[in-house]
Amino acid sequence: MYEAAIRKPLVTGDKSISDVSNDICRPIENKPTKMWWLGFTISFICLTIFVISIGWTVWEGIGTWGVNKTVMWGWDITNFVFWVGIGHAGTLISAILLLFRQKWRMSINRSAEAMTIFAVICAAMFPLFHMGRVWLGYWPLPLPNAYGSLWVNFNSPLLWDVFAISTYFSVSLLFWYLGLIPDIATVRDRATSKMRKFWYGFFSMGWNGSARNWHRYEIVALILAGVSTPLVLSVHTIVSMDFATSVEPGWHTTIFPPYFVAGAIFSGFGMVLTLLVIARSVLNLQDYITIGHLEAMTKVVMLTGSMVGLAYLTEFFIAAYSGVEYEQYAFLNRAFGPYSWAYWTMMSCNLFAPQVFWFKWARTTPWFIFIMSIIVNIGMWFERFVIIVTSLHRDYLTSSWAMYSATIVEVAIFVGTMGLFFTCFFLFSKFLPVINMAEVKSIIKSRE
Amino acid sequence: MLDKKLIIGVYDDGDNLLHSVEKLRKRGVEILDCFTPYPIHNLDKALGIKRSNLTVGAFLCGFTGFCLGLLLQFYTMTSHLHTFKSWPMIIGGKPQNYMMIPSMVPVTFECTILFTAFGIGILFFIRAKMIHGKIPDILDPRQTDDRMLLVVTPDQLGEVSRSEFDSIITSAGAIEIREHNPEHSNDNQH
Repeated sequence: MYEAAIRKPLVTGDKSISDVSNDICRPIENKPTKMWWLGFTISFICLTIFVISIGWTVWEGIGTWGVNKTVMWGWDITNFVFWVGIGHAGTLISAILLLFRQKWRMSINRSAEAMTIFAVICAAMFPLFHMGRVWLGYWPLPLPNAYGSLWVNFNSPLLWDVFAISTYFSVSLLFWYLGLIPDIATVRDRATSKMRKFWYGFFSMGWNGSARNWHRYEIVALILAGVSTPLVLSVHTIVSMDFATSVEPGWHTTIFPPYFVAGAIFSGFGMVLTLLVIARSVLNLQDYITIGHLEAMTKVVMLTGSMVGLAYLTEFFIAAYSGVEYEQYAFLNRAFGPYSWAYWTMMSCNLFAPQVFWFKWARTTPWFIFIMSIIVNIGMWFERFVIIVTSLHRDYLTSSWAMYSATIVEVAIFVGTMGLFFTCFFLFSKFLPVINMAEVKSIIKSRE
Repeated sequence: MLDKKLIIGVYDDGDNLLHSVEKLRKRGVEILDCFTPYPIHNLDKALGIKRSNLTVGAFLCGFTGFCLGLLLQFYTMTSHLHTFKSWPMIIGGKPQNYMMIPSMVPVTFECTILFTAFGIGILFFIRAKMIHGKIPDILDPRQTDDRMLLVVTPDQLGEVSRSEFDSIITSAGAIEIREHNPEHSNDNQH
């Protein structure tokens, strides 16, 4: 039993062990609510938009997008980095907070990990389809081929990214599934229908909760957390190297890896807040995802928001201090050039807006946190847009300067990935326990 | 396990189960196993379960991944292993030998992590004898929900008599004591 004299209980409402199972299995064991159907339908419509717009892109080619010879990365890579960033909170919460023994993670890690997996799937869509011929999408893999020794180029950060993202996805999936097994077994043993008994039985792998298995299970969870921690930090570091190892003014900076990692955690927590503020009221989980959980997450948002803010200012200072005129121009162009609206949107959403979380009221009012989380999401999308588009559209050679704006197809693909993400999330909330029951049972305060 | 005669103590609180285990072990009773819906802190120590060697397995898997990652890159990118057939890939004039080791770091690192994670996952499933579709040996459908079971075989009681065993676990908070007999399909309740 976990009790601390100076801390508030992590789960409120005097829950007993069976209350935990009943509350968390309710969405799985009952028919979906009207709210669920509404959300699922909207998401599914967006997913259809994704299929249509991607189909059109594959059929017609990348000419359906607004990218050009100068700005060859537009919304696609912006969205890729945006989704990968969102995918960082899940493993951060479950791995790093596990190593730091932060027990408040237990109510939120399951849904945050699910979010990670869905976000990485969305992210992977963009580079895959940007390659143009998606049926050759396996080419970045190091496979022996018919062309003699023509292998992939291990000197390229883009290839490092292939390894980083695919490792991150598969390890996160394993971590998530391993965490799910005891809970799937709970659903299996409560199941009344044959169908449910079969499927949950199949995926529970014969889990029976024996003390020997729990002992091994905890060791495995700890090792996975140990290897996932450097992994989660490496992923966005390597994503940032896609930019930082080039000689493009505005990209060629050594601050990128830590700055991207902080940004990823910032945007990831933004999205976790967006989802959990809704989920806790729709699924009636206020006793498990308490105001205390939201407050803890807003503190992380404020801290990482300030870190990216510091990185923005440092970049500006270093550009001035370096004496390199191209670098200086790149930053002046960001702040006062044709895309300055994007730059100031980014600054106000990421640096200034989260400072409101210094006030306790802001950290403990769910509707306000929800609005703030949307602002954070918008700000972080614009951060990637600013980094990619404003750096590319004006570089060394003035004759190749160009402007870029997205076409309806690019917008549709982005909206479509939102659909993909939320469709997956709604299905997850219907078929799997959204809260780690086994872990929560070990921290509830009252068992009487 | 289900083919043996078993005595089962049922609990609704993990702390009570832990106290029973400690008391019984002091009296020399070996406990077959406990089944709980959530991990109970220190129960493994109280049961005298030896620390699993999975950590060693994790290290070996990680080391394999590290070596294979490096080997792959030396094989495909450098001339040291004499594996170039026709086209050495000279891109941007970058070196084709050990000088490229710094740019091997990310991929080697990712391979190490990938092999560690999946290695330990697979080793865990093997050690725990778990596989998709396996029929679980469940003594009580609530053992994964809100009940904890303490399971002993009659010959594990040693010098402790059956009535003494019952009184020890009842005083420690067991709410029910059952017997499981493989010859009868239904469990007897006391």
